[in-house]
Formats: sequence, C-alpha cells, structure tokens
Amino acid sequence: MGGLQKKKFERGSATNYITRNRARKKLMLSLPDFRRLCILKGIYPHEPKHKKKVNKGSTAPRTYYLLKDIRFLLHEPIVGKFREYKIFVRKLKKAYGKTEWSAVERLKENKPAYKLDHIIKERYPTFIDALRDIDDALCMCFLFSTFARTGKCHVQTIQLCRRLTVEWMNYVIASRSLRKVFLSIKGIYYQAEVMGQLITWLVPYQFSHDHPTDVDYRVMATFTELYTTLLGFVNFRVYHSLNLVYPPKLDSKAEPELKEANEDAYAMNSESYLEKLSALSASLARVVSSAEEEEAELDQFPVEGEDMEKMEAREKELKQQEAQKKIFQGLKFFLNREVPRESLAFVIRCFGGEVSWDKSVCIGSTYEVTEETITHHIVDRPSIDKQHINRYYIQPQWVYDCVNGKILLPVEDYFLGVTLPPHLSPFVEEKEGDYVPPEKLKILALQRGENPAHEQEDNNSDEEGEEGEDEEEEEEDDNEDEEEDDEEEAEEKNLKKLEEGRSQGKSLQVKVTPGKVKVENPERLEQEEKAEEKRLAIMMMKKKEKYLYDKIMFGKKRKIREANKLAAKRKAHDDAEKAKKKKAKK
Amino acid sequence: MAAARRLKRVVASQTGFLNLKATSDPEGLVSSSRKRVNKNKKKNWNKHSDINDVEEFLEDVRHQERTTGGLISEKSDDSLFFLDIGQPKKLEQKVEPVEGRKRKGKTQRPLRIDLILQRDSLVPPPKDVLAYQQPNAKKLRRIAQKAEQLAAKGVVPRRQKRLLDRRPIEQKAKKAVTEANNNPDRDFYNIWDQETKETADPWYLQQTGKKRVTRPVRLNEKPSVLPAVEVIAPGGSYNPDFFSHQALLQEAHEVEVKKQKQEDKIEKQLAVNKEDTATEETTLREQVEGLVEEEIEDDDEASDEDEEGAAVGAIALAEKKTEKQRKKEKAEKIKEQQRLASKLQTKQQQQLFQLRSIKATIRNEEHKTKSRQIKRKTQQEAQKAQPRRLGKLKFQAPDMEVQLSDELAGSLRQLKPEGSILKDRFKSLQKRNLIEPRERAKFKRRLKLKYVEKRAFKEIT
Repeated sequence: MGGLQKKKFERGSATNYITRNRARKKLMLSLPDFRRLCILKGIYPHEPKHKKKVNKGSTAPRTYYLLKDIRFLLHEPIVGKFREYKIFVRKLKKAYGKTEWSAVERLKENKPAYKLDHIIKERYPTFIDALRDIDDALCMCFLFSTFARTGKCHVQTIQLCRRLTVEWMNYVIASRSLRKVFLSIKGIYYQAEVMGQLITWLVPYQFSHDHPTDVDYRVMATFTELYTTLLGFVNFRVYHSLNLVYPPKLDSKAEPELKEANEDAYAMNSESYLEKLSALSASLARVVSSAEEEEAELDQFPVEGEDMEKMEAREKELKQQEAQKKIFQGLKFFLNREVPRESLAFVIRCFGGEVSWDKSVCIGSTYEVTEETITHHIVDRPSIDKQHINRYYIQPQWVYDCVNGKILLPVEDYFLGVTLPPHLSPFVEEKEGDYVPPEKLKILALQRGENPAHEQEDNNSDEEGEEGEDEEEEEEDDNEDEEEDDEEEAEEKNLKKLEEGRSQGKSLQVKVTPGKVKVENPERLEQEEKAEEKRLAIMMMKKKEKYLYDKIMFGKKRKIREANKLAAKRKAHDDAEKAKKKKAKK
Repeated sequence: MAAARRLKRVVASQTGFLNLKATSDPEGLVSSSRKRVNKNKKKNWNKHSDINDVEEFLEDVRHQERTTGGLISEKSDDSLFFLDIGQPKKLEQKVEPVEGRKRKGKTQRPLRIDLILQRDSLVPPPKDVLAYQQPNAKKLRRIAQKAEQLAAKGVVPRRQKRLLDRRPIEQKAKKAVTEANNNPDRDFYNIWDQETKETADPWYLQQTGKKRVTRPVRLNEKPSVLPAVEVIAPGGSYNPDFFSHQALLQEAHEVEVKKQKQEDKIEKQLAVNKEDTATEETTLREQVEGLVEEEIEDDDEASDEDEEGAAVGAIALAEKKTEKQRKKEKAEKIKEQQRLASKLQTKQQQQLFQLRSIKATIRNEEHKTKSRQIKRKTQQEAQKAQPRRLGKLKFQAPDMEVQLSDELAGSLRQLKPEGSILKDRFKSLQKRNLIEPRERAKFKRRLKLKYVEKRAFKEIT
C-alpha cells in the first residue's frame, strides 16, 4: 500500500481547536491581555465534543478556543496597542527606577490608548443588535456607578458609568417606556420597552456594597469598558430618535427653576450639571422645540369587515397603553428623606407625575413640603409629626404596585403604619390554571374596572377569586352543567323580578297580555352551539386522540386542584392570622 | 611734563595746599644728585629731567580724591572737625524726643554705620571691560544685520523654515492622541449611520490594512440561550407573598440538602472501615503467625503441583496429525457447515410464519429508537442552557439569595439587601459561557521568609 502513514492528531477536531496557552503564544500576548482581547472582541472559549481527540488522547480539562477565531483575532489592531502598552509600562518602570522624572512625564503624556468604536460597529452591525444586548451593559454600568470611589476601579470609569446611566434614565423618562419594576432583596429590577425590545436591568440598592473577594475585578472592568462604549452609542442613537439633544441638556424652561442659592455648597461647578441631570426632576431639551404634548394620531385607512374590527381593537389597545403611560399624570409627589429618592423619582417621572424632595436631600427639588398642591406624600416611617390635610401619606410600595398594576390602586392599603399587601413580582406570568395569589386577583379585578368591596373584609375578595376558579372548574368538567346553570339562573332572575314586582305592586294584577316572542340571546345561543360542537367533537375522537385529550384534561384538572389546595391553604393561613390579630387586640 | 611742573608750581604757590604724606620732602630728593646733560634733545628731557616731585604731588592728589572724595584743602572745616563737648548732654536728649518724631527722625536719618561705610571717593570703581565685550561681536552684528535685511524682504532662513514646517505636524499629532476609553467626558456619535462606500477593490483594501477583516457571522451567536438578566423568583420580593416565599425557601432548602448529602457521602467514604480494625482474634493470629504449622497449606501445595504436571503434559501432546485425522477433521467441518446452512434455511422458512411477531419486534425497536431520539434531543436542548466545562474548574452555582421569614423587613427603609450584585453578574457571565470559571491566582512568595528574633527581644525572653 502506498502513501504516507497517517499521523494522529493532525486532522479533524484536533486541528480545529487550540488551547488557550497556544493561542496566547500565537498572539504574543500575556494572559491578562489575551483575556481582555477575547472579551472585547466577543470570542468565547469552546468545549470540544470529544476531548480526547483534541487533547492528544488526554481527557484533562483545558480551555479551548476555535482556531479560526484566534486567526481572526490576529487581524485586530488593538493587539498592537496592547503590545505598545506593555512596552510603555516597561519604560515607565525603568524611568521611575532611575528617578528620571522628566522622562516619566514625557512617557505619561504619550501613554498609548485605544478606541473600541470599530469593535462595537463590528460586533453589532445594526442598532437593533446593540439594543438586544444592552441588558448586560445597563446592569454593569448601574453596578459600577454605585461603587465607592476607592481603589477598586478607576474613578473615571465610575464617573463615565454614572453619566451613561443618568442619560439612560433620562431617556426612559422622556420616552415613557418603563413597563415593570420589581423590588427584590437583591436589587431593583426594571423593565422597559425600547423600540419594541424588552430590556431588563438590575439596579443595586444604594450603599449596599461589600466587595466580594472571589470576583475578578479585571474581567469585570474589561466588560465595563466595552459596555460603556456600547451604551454611549446606544444612548446617542435613542436620544436622536426622540429629537433630544445629546449630550442631554436640561430644558431651558426648567433650568432657571432649578437654580438655587446653595448650589455651590452641594456640588462643584464641574459636577453640578450632571447632578442636576441625575436628579431626574426636569425634562430635557429637544433639538426641535416641539409643542408640549405631541400626540401622533394613527393614520387611518379605510378598511372593511373583520379588518375594521381588528383595527378598532388595536386602536383601543393603543389608547389603553397610552393611558397606562400616564397613570401619575397630574399627581404631585413629595418624597420624604428616608425613601430611595432616585428610584422613586425615576418611576414617578416615567409615568408623568411631578416629584420633589427636601432641598437638603438632593439638588433639583422643585417645590417645598408646604406646597398646597401636593397630592401624595411618600413616607417610610411608622408615623409623621406634622401632617397636611389635603394629601395622602403613603408608603413607597404604592408607587411600584401602581406601576405594575397599571392603574392607580386604592391608597387605603398603603397608609402609614398599615401592614402592606405583598409586593408581587410583575415578571411572573401565570398560565391558565396556575395558582394566583389573591392580591393579584384583586388587582386584576380592579384592572377590569370592577370594584371589589374592600371596605368590608379582605376575605371577600378571596372568596370571589375562589368562586371564579370553581366556576372555571365546572366549566371544564361539564359543559352541559353550565347550560343548566344558566337556565336556572335565568329562572331565578325571573322569579326575583316577580317578587320585586310583588313587593312594589303589593297586589297582583291579573291581566292577559299579548304573547311575546321569546327573545333569544344570540350570544348565548352561540355559546350553546359551541359547547355542543365541542362535545360532539370529543365523541367523535379517535381512541388515540381521545386518550391524549383525556391526558391533557387530566393534567389541567390536576393543576387546578393544586391551585385550589394552595388557595385553601392561603385562606386558612389568613384566617389564622386574623384570629391572632383579634386575640392580640383583645 | 611741562604741565606737571607748572601744576607743581601752581600748587606750591598755593598757600592752603595740604600734603597728605608729610614724610615726603621734595627738596631733599632734588638736591641729592645732579647730572650734566644736554638739554637740547628731547630724548634727554625724557631721560634726565626729574619729575618725582610732580608725580608724588599728583599721586597725592589722586590719593586724596580716591579716599576722601576731593582735596582736603578745599573741604569745609565742619566736615573735617567736630566740637567735643563731652558726655553729659546725652541724658537730656534722651528724654526730649516724642515717639512720633523719634520714629520720623529714624526713618529720615541714615545710620551712622552706613554713613561711615558710604563711598566718598570721587573716582568711580573700575569697569570690567570683559563684561561688556562680546566675542565675535562684529561677525554676529553683521549676521544680524543681514538677517534683518532678509526678514524685511520676507526670506526665512532654512533652519527656521524647517522648524516652522515641523510645528503644525506636531500640533496635529498632539490633537490626534486618543483619549482613554474611560474618559468621562468623551463624546459619542451615530456609529450606525455611516455608510461609506468603498470604490476600490475590497481585497486590495483588506490586504493593505485599509479595511478590517469582516467578522464571521458565526461569532455573533451567543454561546448560551440564557437571558442576560435572570429575574429572581417572586419569593425574592422584599415583601413577598407568603406562598411564593415558602416556595423559594423550599428550593433553597433542597439545594442545601443536596449539598449536605454530598458532604455526608464524602465523610462516609473517608470513614474507617470497621472490618479493618483489629479484633482479638486477628491480633492473636498475627502474634502466632509462623509458629503453628498449618496442614492446609501443604494440601494446597500438593494440588498445585498436580496442576503443573497436567499443563506440562498438554504441551507435550501437541504432535503432528496423521493423514487420516486430517481427512476426518475436514469431513467433519464440511458436515457442520452443511448442517448450519440447512438450519438457516429452515429458520428462514419458519420466519415466514412468524411475520407478525417480527413486525411487532421491529415496531418495538423503532419505537424505542424514536423515544431515544426524542430523549436525546431534549437533553441537547437542556444542555444548551447549561454551563459548559470550559476549564479546569466546573461552574459552581452561586448561593441562592433568600431571606428567612424573620429576616424579612417590614418596610423598604429597613430592607437589608441580600447577596452581591457584582458576584451575581460575574456568575451570570460564567453561566452563559462567556468566561471560564477560574480560581483567584494564589500569591506565590518568590523568596522564602525567614524568622529571626531581634536581639532586644531575645534578651527579655
């Protein structure tokens, strides 16, 4: 047999992968530089399918990269900058060692630096790509902006992060795109809808940092470096989409209002503008000074039939959304000093409310405590000494719950010293048959426009919820029952009417009335028809399909059963709580 | 000379002239020696006329001018003498002056010491000529003149021109210095709007480094399907619903139990096996080991020997087969083959009647493979969300953030945040396979530490 002998590990996956160290040597970079480069360029390690084939028969775990990726990295101009920087550091060290201060100065002046703009453009070829990946960037920037300015990372990075996050928040306010807020024990989750993309980010509570030791700060700083650049460009773009001036400027109307006598005492001149921006209390300047409220009417096209209905439905939905964006419109809030100012100001302003705070808390307060027109005063302490008559004193959770519920919730549950209803996560979406906590049911009912009488007893609403569920269960159990029920209900109604008539008229008037055509409720007929059809369809099912159908129905029922169980448990729990309370009162 | 003599005569005629050096006597000097010389020659005038007296006189005049600032004879008596009245008047003077006047007088009148030290000679101090001279002054002056002329014409010298040429480039270079990435005042622009169309050949541009290599599309895929921000379970609310909180606690509990189980397992594996510990019997056996002869072992040895003998015999038996044997073996082999073939045939014939059961088995197998396929596919799907093994270390899921029922804060103000977001982000990056899990590099000491007791300390202990 002719030909050369095939050698092992010279073909196939062995040549597709490269170990980290070999890649590092190929690029002539140190490990930290290599790591930084990979993060910036978005090149991640790979786990080969067959480790033995790649690692010359050994299964020892190592870090692998794809060889093609590393070849791509070879073209990166930043690699050269990294090498330059290395040499710069070496020269600087030498100059320091020799105490040649002029040389040190000269070297420092010519410190090599690099830009990431081209990498951003390369990694995110379109704006939407960038917007999809902005979650991480926002989280990181918000996180870094809350760091203390100690030696953990560069002060400049912190400042840049702060600036970018303030810009972002101002944009969200201006575009009214906030959708959900969730106060968790970790931090505050926000969700906004920007250009059709749902963007979630996490903001830490203020002053909650202990620096963990098992986190690689260098890696995090590299990510932040990339993400600040990304967020900056995204900010620019979104600002321009709203015709806002970038870098943001305060509205010229609002600016003189914010001028204060003790401004100098609060911040340095160079910082006071950013501080004012970060106060979030004033609107931003626009490129084209527009009318106060520009409401773009949807273009209407003449359509017929079903499309028309759809259009109407959509229009209605849009209107509803618009209304939801303005739930705090016309309300004036005042924040007491113990509540988280930035978060509340951000949320309130996002939904059109006006907000202010004590002058000594932060720059940019717009009105005083004594202002007569304040409607809501947000307090987070058990009692307050001096209360004004014409405003509600409420706890901060009310604001967040309103935002999540998309309506103004009744304030009674949130008064001072009242035990708050639970703060539910807006990120949970219940499927049909899942257990829904009674508080959520209440909010849902409010959204539908019903008004559960919460003055009477809390239990009422719970029971209502249960009843609803029971009804649902019955529906799924048997559709025939439902019909009968309905008929019975109708009869009952008739009887009631008769009784009422009796009580009103006192004596029965016997009269022959002309026969009426029995009015048939078309909706009901339709329903009946549908139910009938369904039943027939079930009857006509093949054995196999029937089996599957039964299985599905069984699963659903089981879920409902579980939910019911939980609800019953909850009721028992509530009852126990109430009993305890009563006892305590006695 | 004549002038000097005349001067001398003039001076001599002056009655009031005072000689500073009293010792020098002109008369004596003149009378000492006298030579007869022709005086009709100018040379002899110079050589033999005696001018000492004049010179001395002039010297004296100069001396007076140098030291006292003019001829003493011309000075007033007040400047030369004072009236010595004696001590006692000083007391009265001390009493007299008022404070204001005293101060004023002090400022006006210079100190006596200064007066003494004041230069009063008429002769100015000699000038240092070299200080005023410039080497090559003439040449330089000429060059300057020429340069002026050229400048007037508008011609710039070459060197200056070169400097001028260099200056703007330097400025440009200074401006072009890229600022650091984290400069808080950096400006941004619309990066997604520039659509510059290249006219040249893209391959040429790429090879000459004018255009970057295009990024493969494959790189824009994310290594994990997990979302960037995973929202905490509803039980993680600061004021959670009772049941969701319980559910979260349950989850955390399960994680904890799992951990505990693993720890227990390791502990169990590490525990000492009871069978390995020495009992009385085993210790006794160990003590009498080799002392008591055991017959059983002998038996064993005997049997071993038998086996060996048999094995040796087997090897010896392998001898050449006879022709007959070979033929017989071959016939047997053929017979066996025929038997097997016929068996196969009958089996196949029989299978015709087993068709149904065969079909059933096939169906069963197909069903099995399908279910396996589905299972594998679901596993693969699940794997996509799992962190991969990217390095030496496995991904360690972070501890769940949970607050126990009694830790829950009643209000937002009293809330104590749980966990660190920095760590959460870091772990999220690891979980999404963006970075490999790593341990913090341990500090390695290059040189060994050496502990020495100080002498002062030693004395005490």
